[in-house]
Amino acid sequence: MTKSLPTIQFSEASGKSRLRVALVEDQPKVRESWARLINSFPDCSCVCACATGEEALRVIPGEKPQVILVDIFLPRMSGIECTSRLKEMLPETQIIILTAMDDQELVFMALEAGADGYLLKRIKPAELRLALLDVLRGGAPMTSQVARRVIESFRRPGKPKDETAALSVREEQILQLLSQGYSNKLIADRLEISVDTVCSHLKHVYSKLHVNSRTAAVVRYMSSKPPAGA
Amino acid sequence: MRPSHFTPGLILSLAAPLGFCLALPSVVNAQTNVRDGLQTNPPPIAIESSTNGLGSWIWASHTTDRQTCRLWRSIEIPATATVTHAELRMTVDNEFVLFLDGRNLGRGGEWNELFDFNLTYLLAPGPHVLAVEAYNDSDYAGLILGMEVDLSDGRRIDIKSDDNWRVVPNTEKHWETATRSSEKWPRATVIGPLGTKPWWLEPHRVNTMELLLPIKVPFWRTGWFQISVLAVCGAAILVSLRLVGQLAIHRRERWLLQKERGRIARDIHDDVGSRLTQLVLHGEVAQSELPPESATRQQIDQICQEAREVLSTMDEILWGLNPKRDTYRDFTSYICGYAQGFLKSTEIQCLFDVAPQTASVVLELPFRRALLMAVKESLNNAVKHSGATEIMLRMACEGQTLAVILSDNGRGFDPARAKPGRNGLANMAQRLEEVGGSCRVTSRPGQGCRTELSVRLRHRLRPRSWRWSAEERSGRAQPSDPLETNYS
Repeated sequence: MTKSLPTIQFSEASGKSRLRVALVEDQPKVRESWARLINSFPDCSCVCACATGEEALRVIPGEKPQVILVDIFLPRMSGIECTSRLKEMLPETQIIILTAMDDQELVFMALEAGADGYLLKRIKPAELRLALLDVLRGGAPMTSQVARRVIESFRRPGKPKDETAALSVREEQILQLLSQGYSNKLIADRLEISVDTVCSHLKHVYSKLHVNSRTAAVVRYMSSKPPAGA
Repeated sequence: MRPSHFTPGLILSLAAPLGFCLALPSVVNAQTNVRDGLQTNPPPIAIESSTNGLGSWIWASHTTDRQTCRLWRSIEIPATATVTHAELRMTVDNEFVLFLDGRNLGRGGEWNELFDFNLTYLLAPGPHVLAVEAYNDSDYAGLILGMEVDLSDGRRIDIKSDDNWRVVPNTEKHWETATRSSEKWPRATVIGPLGTKPWWLEPHRVNTMELLLPIKVPFWRTGWFQISVLAVCGAAILVSLRLVGQLAIHRRERWLLQKERGRIARDIHDDVGSRLTQLVLHGEVAQSELPPESATRQQIDQICQEAREVLSTMDEILWGLNPKRDTYRDFTSYICGYAQGFLKSTEIQCLFDVAPQTASVVLELPFRRALLMAVKESLNNAVKHSGATEIMLRMACEGQTLAVILSDNGRGFDPARAKPGRNGLANMAQRLEEVGGSCRVTSRPGQGCRTELSVRLRHRLRPRSWRWSAEERSGRAQPSDPLETNYS
């Protein structure tokens, strides 16, 4: 991924068009720190910080954020369930899962539930900012392990096939290269496309993964009524 | 016997014309036939010696009609010799059943004929019991018996019907196998010697009874065999029960160990991990609010960096501890992530070739650790010494063997000149050997270096134990990994 990302359109225009970020994190001090960190970026602003998944479902849709950061472990409603419900309400909003532990299995579960990427909580502020901008521009970077899991998931036999959720040849090609350890930049070189194109392919992959697994995994959260007030 | 039925005159008057007709071609034979009375069937065997060795007629002290009389005696065949021939001839007026050692040898019901039993094969050295259950229909009653036993050393044992026989009361049970007589059994009464009226001097016929052979007991029906089989079965059952018990205890211990590991990991994670993460976050916030030139900002940055490194080390330890991350997929995923992270800051491009899983194997903590350490060591060597631009990491699991192969395109080295121990190769091999695996490093100058690690794993008996599977089912709805619950 290109590191030379100066600014993007909306932050250039005026202070009003800063990237609107919402946050779901149960620990007050941590929540506050995240909010301060996000607000310290010139092109981002934290429009809302919720303590629970239930609160997030109630408050966030009204705030119309562009990106939502969700802690994977929340009391009562888990971060994964919260992601799934938020994605259902705000399909256009990008959701990033925050996790303290680098556990690809959990990350994959979050991606299946509709997350558009994940970040380790110990991420450096500069990287956080880039990631926030990236996820809006295209798909969040995908690790080779997740790419491998995504391929597996789409190849799983006996799954009800949704034609709109099938991977295109190019997307599968990109996933294969990712799983073999190639970076987005190298993939772009190899396939003679731009890095941005690679990212946008990945963005489609994320949404297809979500559609693809909605029938199986996500329906489980959706089948029960959301909590009162949500 | 009914005396009125038998008079020589009657026999002669009846038999003479018949015998005459039959024996017409030979006058000599006719004479014999007359002496044999009514006997017209195949000519009798030589009976000159048929009465040799016979004893006296014996019976109980009283004779009644429809009387059952049990006569018993024991005999002893010397242990020093084998029996070459043994023959017993007897008859009873009116019927008898003969037993030897409780075995029914046969029966006879004709008082004027003798019954010949060949006991050669039944008389093994040692004590034996002769028993006769005799039955009198009416009037005269008696038993006559003679037995000759020839021994290999030339001796001969004669047993006759005499007062050495005992009369066994009819109420006695298992008398035909009793080896000792009771004082209550009276001696048999001798009625008279051979030839006593109304009986014969010569029997009318000698019936040779079917040759008697020892009853062959198949080996699986012999007592000792059945007892040994039972004993073996019993022992096997006991051993199995013991093993089952041990297995149960072992399983329980394993489960407890896993649970305990999970708890430790969760504690580390919840307490140390989350607080360290918060620390990094707070540090970053503090840093971002300082002026860029501030020296403190640099220091805080270093602290944060240090804390991040501690966190990744912790991730590694927790990955090892987590009992749920023991599949091939978890392993390959972790190793790939590790390699990518490790090589990120270098010029080396890391490529993967991960074969899909074919067998269900368990990667337990010792295997995971040993392999991870070896992979780390190899990557370290590659970064430090190889000058490679690309490292290929291949992983495959065929059957129970997991192979991890790292090959680089660096400058390689001459294995003969590499000092073992200095480059960590020996260390690596030792780690793998400890878990029953192997490590092979091949390299040639200018040809890169190839490290092959392989271990043999245990098959997963069931997908997961039921305690975990319940969590697995709900795992999607809510991450309920023992490590991660309640964590935020």
